[in-house]
Amino acid sequence: MVERRLTCLAVIVLLWGAAILKNLISLQIFHHREYAVRARSIQEVVEEIPAPRGTIFDRDGRPLAMSLASRSAYINPMKVDVGVASDLLGYLLHLDRAELYLKIKQAADAHRGYLIIKRQLSPEEYDNLLHLKSRIEWVSLSHESQRHYPNGTLAAHVLGSVDFEEKGNAGIEKGLDKELRGTPGRIRLLTDVHRRGIAPQTTIPAKPGTSLTLTLDERLQFVAEREIAAAVRAHNANSGSVVVMKPDTGDILAMASYPTFDPNVPVERGEDPKPRLNHAFSVPFEPGSVFKVITLSAALETTNLRPESPINCNGGKLTLFSRTIHDSHAGMWVVPMETVLAKSSNIGAIQVGLRVGPVNMHDYMKRFGFGQRTGLPLPGESPGKVYRLERWGKTSLASVSMGQEVSVTTLQLAQAASVVASGGMLVKPRLVLKRGDRPEPVTPPVRVLKPENAITMRQMMEGVVLVGTGSRARLAGYSSGGKTGSAQIYDYATKHYTHTYNGSYMGFAPITNPQVVVVVTLNGMHGEAGFGGQAAAPVFKVVAGEALRVFDVPKDLPESPAAPTMVAKNTEDLNDLAIADLDASGHNILEEGEEEEDRSLTVAAQNGTVAALTGPEKQGPPVAVVPAAPKPAGPRVPNFRGMTMRAVLAEAAARGLSILPDGSGIARIQSPPPGAPLHQGERIRVQFAR
Amino acid sequence: MATLPAYLKKNEALTGAPQGPDAASRTKMRPVRDPFQLRALPHEHLFLYNKRIDNSRLVREADPKSRGACWSAIGAASVLAILLTSAFAPSVATTIAGYKLEALRIEERRLLEEHRGLDLQEAELLSPARLDQLARENNLVTPSSGQVFHLEGKPQGAVAMAK
Repeated sequence: MVERRLTCLAVIVLLWGAAILKNLISLQIFHHREYAVRARSIQEVVEEIPAPRGTIFDRDGRPLAMSLASRSAYINPMKVDVGVASDLLGYLLHLDRAELYLKIKQAADAHRGYLIIKRQLSPEEYDNLLHLKSRIEWVSLSHESQRHYPNGTLAAHVLGSVDFEEKGNAGIEKGLDKELRGTPGRIRLLTDVHRRGIAPQTTIPAKPGTSLTLTLDERLQFVAEREIAAAVRAHNANSGSVVVMKPDTGDILAMASYPTFDPNVPVERGEDPKPRLNHAFSVPFEPGSVFKVITLSAALETTNLRPESPINCNGGKLTLFSRTIHDSHAGMWVVPMETVLAKSSNIGAIQVGLRVGPVNMHDYMKRFGFGQRTGLPLPGESPGKVYRLERWGKTSLASVSMGQEVSVTTLQLAQAASVVASGGMLVKPRLVLKRGDRPEPVTPPVRVLKPENAITMRQMMEGVVLVGTGSRARLAGYSSGGKTGSAQIYDYATKHYTHTYNGSYMGFAPITNPQVVVVVTLNGMHGEAGFGGQAAAPVFKVVAGEALRVFDVPKDLPESPAAPTMVAKNTEDLNDLAIADLDASGHNILEEGEEEEDRSLTVAAQNGTVAALTGPEKQGPPVAVVPAAPKPAGPRVPNFRGMTMRAVLAEAAARGLSILPDGSGIARIQSPPPGAPLHQGERIRVQFAR
Repeated sequence: MATLPAYLKKNEALTGAPQGPDAASRTKMRPVRDPFQLRALPHEHLFLYNKRIDNSRLVREADPKSRGACWSAIGAASVLAILLTSAFAPSVATTIAGYKLEALRIEERRLLEEHRGLDLQEAELLSPARLDQLARENNLVTPSSGQVFHLEGKPQGAVAMAK
């Protein structure tokens, strides 16, 4: 009897154990995943770790663009009572109830499952919604990031902008979007009953966007933008651009374009795209006379032409293959090559170009970087236009020599000017100084000009400022070189050049060791006031002066007011227009002055005597002269150029002068220039080169 | 055990109760029951007194076995307590640290956001356009090149003066 009872008890216990085991197996094996998920959904929350977009700094570490976290509220319009939702959210988020009702209703009618109610919630609004969210499920909150540009329009074309998802849609924001954009991480949190996190477990670590340090200088950028805006308004131009560049490293210190825009304001449908266009980078134009720098540089490299070599300007008129080309400065006959540049003679440039030849000319255009993108990490760069040699017509060489039949960007001109300024090396422009903490490497420069030819070009370009068309670019306390350019805008409809001009100026300072290259372009100007020497050169003067001040470049000229410019007394002397098919042109009638052979234009300017000289191959009446002025009394700086160091030191010792020699070989540059008044105790810096 | 009312009643009986034959006749009378009087507690009629006993010669007999058992019990309890503590302490500490960690993480994020906000505010206040406008309002002009002297070399933020 007892055994039977025991057996029954054992069976019951066994069955009980089996039932427990069956449930255990069901829970732990068959339904493990389901219950684990349910438990996790109750006990755990997954939070996103924000990864802010990288900050963009200027070269001194001042922020130009940065992102801040913001929170947004959104709902599913299909799952809400429109009236309740609009009442509640309108009250909590300080929104207009009727407007919100309409918005939700429209979204619901359109069967949209997602509607952002408000972005950038204040902390108070966020807390209110967070409390509300625990009771109603149809409100959701999301963490976002919003881009801010603290300086408003400053450097807008370089920085670009972002869309509502913080994805770059212009400028460097687009060009380096991948690097700037961070990857948000995820964190799994075990929570208590009050939904407080207990044990955070990072599943995916956040990867913030890389910060970028640009080569831009905020102060210079501001000055460049201010000046180009003023110039565009003053000359009633369509647009304008400025590029400031360091010639030794290729650093872009400022890149301004006008009209401009505020990147804080999102793009709207139907908005005029013109203000968002980077004219310095994306809009090519015919450069006109500034391109003569390339022509003359190629001549120095490939021919035996020197600055003093006589060039026949043919009285300002030349007919080539039934195409008549006029000089804006009529009446020039045989002048030295440096005068061709200083006075911006089209005929002279063509004569030089013909000596260079099409193959060399095309080769040097390419070597100077024209017709190719500079490679800056900005979208929409224009490579400009350099026709293949096979496509050149009979007069193409003549056109190209004076800056027609070629299109360039302001940035390409800055790159080309840097070749002259850096001693003949082509340095690729650089916009990014550092990516994160990693410095951006400088692309090795490529030699384009021999050093002595680069120095010669600098001297000739100094002549443009001292006695030529660029007198309005003359800096106080600094020597500078440059070239003006005024190109008629070609009308493709009528196949003729119009009387609307692109005025430009490219220059650098100081002459001995250029620290800054500035190129200014104004597009779509009318009349003589729209010439480069009139409109663009003053912008160069202000921007370059500010750049030299900001970078503490020591002055290389006396503080006293600069010697008066001989040829800039009337506006016609600033005329450097590249005229192609016009029959009439303004004649620049100058008085005949005393001639002085083998003296540079610099000497002539300082002495106020002769600016343009005649050579042994003189043909026709030499008229390109400047009015004589009385010579100032006192000692003058001797001409050391072309002398060996030994000879320079000997002559300086004999005259009791103090010399600061630099380099070795033949004296190439001296400061103060030959013939300049010598002040008491002043030292003469002489640069030697082989 | 006597309660306080019972004790007081006993004292009243000792001091105020009539003595002699009248007392005997009076005690035979059935006392009038106080309707508010509580029912007596058990053993309320017992009164305990202290009696001084000299037990100075009484000595407890030594019992090594019971002492050992006592110490064993104490030791076992201590070991058990240590084991339990060491078993649960890490998880408790982890939980507390988790709370702290999460709180610090939230605080860090808040501070970082605040820092970035202040950076932005600083950048807006120091924007060249604003400074230029302020300078114009105060009739300040840009110093010319060479007019500025850095008094402490040329590092970032060096003091400068214009001559």
